[in-house]
Amino acid sequence: MKIDDVVCPFCGCLCDDLVVEVEGTRVVSVENGCTLANEKFMGDHRLKTPIHREGKGWKETTYDEAIRETAEILCDADRPLLYGWSGTHGEAQSIGIHLAEILGALVDNTSTVCHGPSILAIQEVGHPGCTLGQVKNRADVVIYWGTNPIDAHPRHMSRYTTFADGFFLKEAFRDRKLIVVDVRKSESANIADEFVRIQPGGDYAVLSALRAIVQGKRGIIPPSVAGVSREQLFRVADLLLSAKFGAIFFGLGLTMSRGKSKNIRNAIELTEELNRHTKFIISPMRGHWNVYGSNEVFTWITGYPYAVDFARGIAFYNPGETTSVDVLSRKECDACLVVASDPGAHFPKACAEHLARIPTVQIDPHVNATTHLSRIQIPVAVTGIDAEGTAYRMDGVPIRTRMLFRGTYPSDTAVLEQLYAIVKEIKGP
Amino acid sequence: MKFLLNTGRTIRQGSYVERKNSVAYQEEATSLCMNPVDMMNLEVEEGSQVRVESDQESVIMKVHPALWITQGEVFVCLGPYANHLVKPETHGSGMPDFKGTMVTITPTSEPLVTVADLMERCGGVRYED
Amino acid sequence: MSEFLIRNAYVIDPLSGIKGEIMDIAIRNGRIAEEVGSNAEVIDADHCLTLPGGIDSHSHVCGTKVNFGRYMSPEDMRAGRTARKGVMHVTSGYSVPTTFGNSYRYSVMGYTTVLEGAMAPLEARHTHEEFTATPHQDMLANTLFDGNWSIMEAVREKDMKRAAAVVAWTLSAVKGFAIKLTNPGGTEAWGWGEDVHSIQDQVPHFGVTPAEIIQTMIRANELLNLPHSVHLHCNALGVPGNYRTTLDTIDLVPDLNDKRQSLYLTHLQFHSYGGSTWKDISSKSEDIARAVNNKPAVAIDMGQIMFGRTTTMTADGPMEFKLYMLHHNKWSNHDVELETGSGIIPVYYSRKSLVNCVMWAIGIELALLVKDPWRCMLSTDNPNGAPFVKYPEIIALLMSRRFRENEIALLDPRTAHYVPLPAIDRELDWYDIAVMTRAGQAKALGITGIGKGYLAPGAEADIAIYPLKPESLDPSAEYQQVMAGFGKTRYTIKRGRVVARDGDVVVEGANSTIWTRSTVPPGYDLSVDPEFMKKFEQYYTIRMSNYPVQDVYLPRGICIPTEASL
Repeated sequence: MKIDDVVCPFCGCLCDDLVVEVEGTRVVSVENGCTLANEKFMGDHRLKTPIHREGKGWKETTYDEAIRETAEILCDADRPLLYGWSGTHGEAQSIGIHLAEILGALVDNTSTVCHGPSILAIQEVGHPGCTLGQVKNRADVVIYWGTNPIDAHPRHMSRYTTFADGFFLKEAFRDRKLIVVDVRKSESANIADEFVRIQPGGDYAVLSALRAIVQGKRGIIPPSVAGVSREQLFRVADLLLSAKFGAIFFGLGLTMSRGKSKNIRNAIELTEELNRHTKFIISPMRGHWNVYGSNEVFTWITGYPYAVDFARGIAFYNPGETTSVDVLSRKECDACLVVASDPGAHFPKACAEHLARIPTVQIDPHVNATTHLSRIQIPVAVTGIDAEGTAYRMDGVPIRTRMLFRGTYPSDTAVLEQLYAIVKEIKGP
Repeated sequence: MKFLLNTGRTIRQGSYVERKNSVAYQEEATSLCMNPVDMMNLEVEEGSQVRVESDQESVIMKVHPALWITQGEVFVCLGPYANHLVKPETHGSGMPDFKGTMVTITPTSEPLVTVADLMERCGGVRYED
Repeated sequence: MSEFLIRNAYVIDPLSGIKGEIMDIAIRNGRIAEEVGSNAEVIDADHCLTLPGGIDSHSHVCGTKVNFGRYMSPEDMRAGRTARKGVMHVTSGYSVPTTFGNSYRYSVMGYTTVLEGAMAPLEARHTHEEFTATPHQDMLANTLFDGNWSIMEAVREKDMKRAAAVVAWTLSAVKGFAIKLTNPGGTEAWGWGEDVHSIQDQVPHFGVTPAEIIQTMIRANELLNLPHSVHLHCNALGVPGNYRTTLDTIDLVPDLNDKRQSLYLTHLQFHSYGGSTWKDISSKSEDIARAVNNKPAVAIDMGQIMFGRTTTMTADGPMEFKLYMLHHNKWSNHDVELETGSGIIPVYYSRKSLVNCVMWAIGIELALLVKDPWRCMLSTDNPNGAPFVKYPEIIALLMSRRFRENEIALLDPRTAHYVPLPAIDRELDWYDIAVMTRAGQAKALGITGIGKGYLAPGAEADIAIYPLKPESLDPSAEYQQVMAGFGKTRYTIKRGRVVARDGDVVVEGANSTIWTRSTVPPGYDLSVDPEFMKKFEQYYTIRMSNYPVQDVYLPRGICIPTEASL
């Protein structure tokens, strides 16, 4: 059976034009998707049943037992951490937050090691952005700064920028200028009209230099800034100033390098500066297909987009204190529930060590690095394949993922609802 | 020799996210890209093992030449091997120095380890299906 | 069969013609009944002011830009946080509370129905998710069409019926309630960093004027027989001298509906400025009020500002950018492809600012100078003018000259030179307030037909009992009591259930979202129109089949169906 307009649950592009062919409970072909989509839809490596650790080994267990054990672990803990969320649908994220509220727990999502610094910058200076269609239809200058879409967001350029024809740009590839800024000549840099190679940690200085040029202060720019020549800086600034509509997309090159949130703040302020001359937007390249969704859901319920601590009975937010990497490396939490993410693979070693030390439970369809650190793993349906729910694209547009077939796994929502009910029962009124 | 360790996404790494215990993922996540001139100075050949050490940790990876990386820097896709080397210090930002860790790289004949091995080093218990 | 009896209530129910009578109110199964049995639970209202549940006809509480306002302002979140209490969840936020925060605070004030001021159709799903998390108010969504490409093309072709068809398809697809226009034409111009400055300016590329958009949409609205009229945020918001744009806009309005206004002008305070620069900005409330008084086809809401911090957030992207350049504070912007825009900046209205003092006076002047309270409703364009928790203070100002005098004494002393407020004696009475905070809204929104806004048998049992005794309380003198009383009900009843008591919400909510579906003849069904479908195939970045809001997002939706006369 062919299904049209399928939404891909992999990266922040949230492409919704895939055509998949389903036979029974397998996806057998994918059209319009990138490599990541093909792997996601046609992969077949799921954990078959819930498992839990017994001594130095693992045994299969049932959903009811696994969920009850999990509830007990969370209720016994003084300071549980509920982490992840970016790989599941909004309805499940919502339950997760309410669960954290009644547990008095910490609840955090993958922004904490991804675009958390971007959020910190936005909280200082705001976010002048737009939906991706505005870029597709209008942008004549596109900048990818510290991000490599060809590898991480493979269809970004064809759906939204370089190769995407729009209403006001009928031949995008010809009419649109592409600037790529990176410390290395990535695949994306290879096809740029202008590649700016920066020394690692030099983004802040280059952004400041561009801001100065945009403000009309060319005279103060030294011959080179962080490895970028003055000539190139002038050339790039002129490209930006002559744009009719410029779009800056940035990624982990800015959030993870020296300066972190300050890099992004500088980039946003450059964008705000440019808006006094022409139209410019800036937007983060969100990694997971629903990490922005976790920010949205966290915010409308608690007021804060990530790193929320309910221990005081109110919603408390203090990145650096309430962020997962810090909480784990300080050995502050004594139980952890991981949903739809893999901190074992993506957090520093000291955090993985603590996850192994405390009772950690993972709700995830696949065996991953965190599995080896957990006491229990509960496999669930994959959102967008055998579960449906709301996702928020990297630009904030909400799209509902589809259920392609009814499988045998429960959804994240079903498991979390059951978990919530048991916790509520244990905790009492 | 000292290098700045840069980590980031690659499409291969992305394709194996649901198979992190596979050989294919291990190959990608232990692939260290180095400038050919640095490789010459380090006296290592394509595909040979290197010991990558940060402050307190070390991990074995395999080195590959890449013209697109400058001398003095290396690139590994994000994942447990790279993160074994990253300190949890976030400087109050919540974000560790994923793109700012200095490492020392030396040739070695030690073998690669699996993701399960790495997690056991952290105190975990391997799960094999 | 749940039955309630409210005894000895001092009822003002303007839509039923009740202007202050002691009566009993019987409730059965969520609706007002003629009578109930002896087993009914009894609430003794003890001669307290009892009104239909509050209805807010313009408030920004749910959706993309509201959530932007929250997460970019953790300092605002910290300024209004509450802990879990009983069934109440944790809340955060002072001027942009979290959804539960909004819902509890509105409920404690007696509000049971709220119209979200602006929803971009592309992002409607987000608004609906937040609606469900605002569980104690029935919600409605003003749906933005000001920069809509299909609309502007229809306007250019002078094809009113096609415009109506676009509206019908869109409202039905995204479960919206009414047509909202924010700076029509300006939001599209802002896609290029430009704006329109008068209603006769041409929108770049599309070649239509705001005047044409407004006129076409007013007529399209009536062709669709929608319950509410077009809801308009005029061009040139906030610009000194913009009262002329407002008067020009009012001049455009035809009288096409005998049940309600043909155009609803929102937060009109921001559109009533004389002068030509910030140095000589003055109040033109007298001119505006005169125009409104002479034009029954127009209804307005105040858009009152109150001193203190708040957050401005509107679909008016270019206006928010201008504010950013004035305030040099943080600024967010979010343009929505093919549809509209938005901007968010935090602000602080200060008594030390002459401009802010003039703005403060204008809102009150409008309410006092517009003779008919049915056509000038109370609002702050929450949170743009002030958070809605300030409504009780505004009510007290409208009811008490003494309170106004005391407040005027605190303003910049030059204010009196620019505004007529000190000379205005009028004091609104309980009836006027009842009209301006619920009955007027129910009529203007066209939702009396589904039982909102009044207390006769058959109506929804949405009731607010305030700790105020009109028989013995002089609002002109006791304005502090008025303020306190309207801030916290003794009981808020929604659909026959007590939801709030003396400042606490006591049950989990189960609200409804109210939306409209206008049935059009097959020739106007745009779901098979190639030109319309092309927008999705080529210009939008979402597929047409993924665009509509699925039923699952409205667990208890109430659809108001209409027949289009196309």
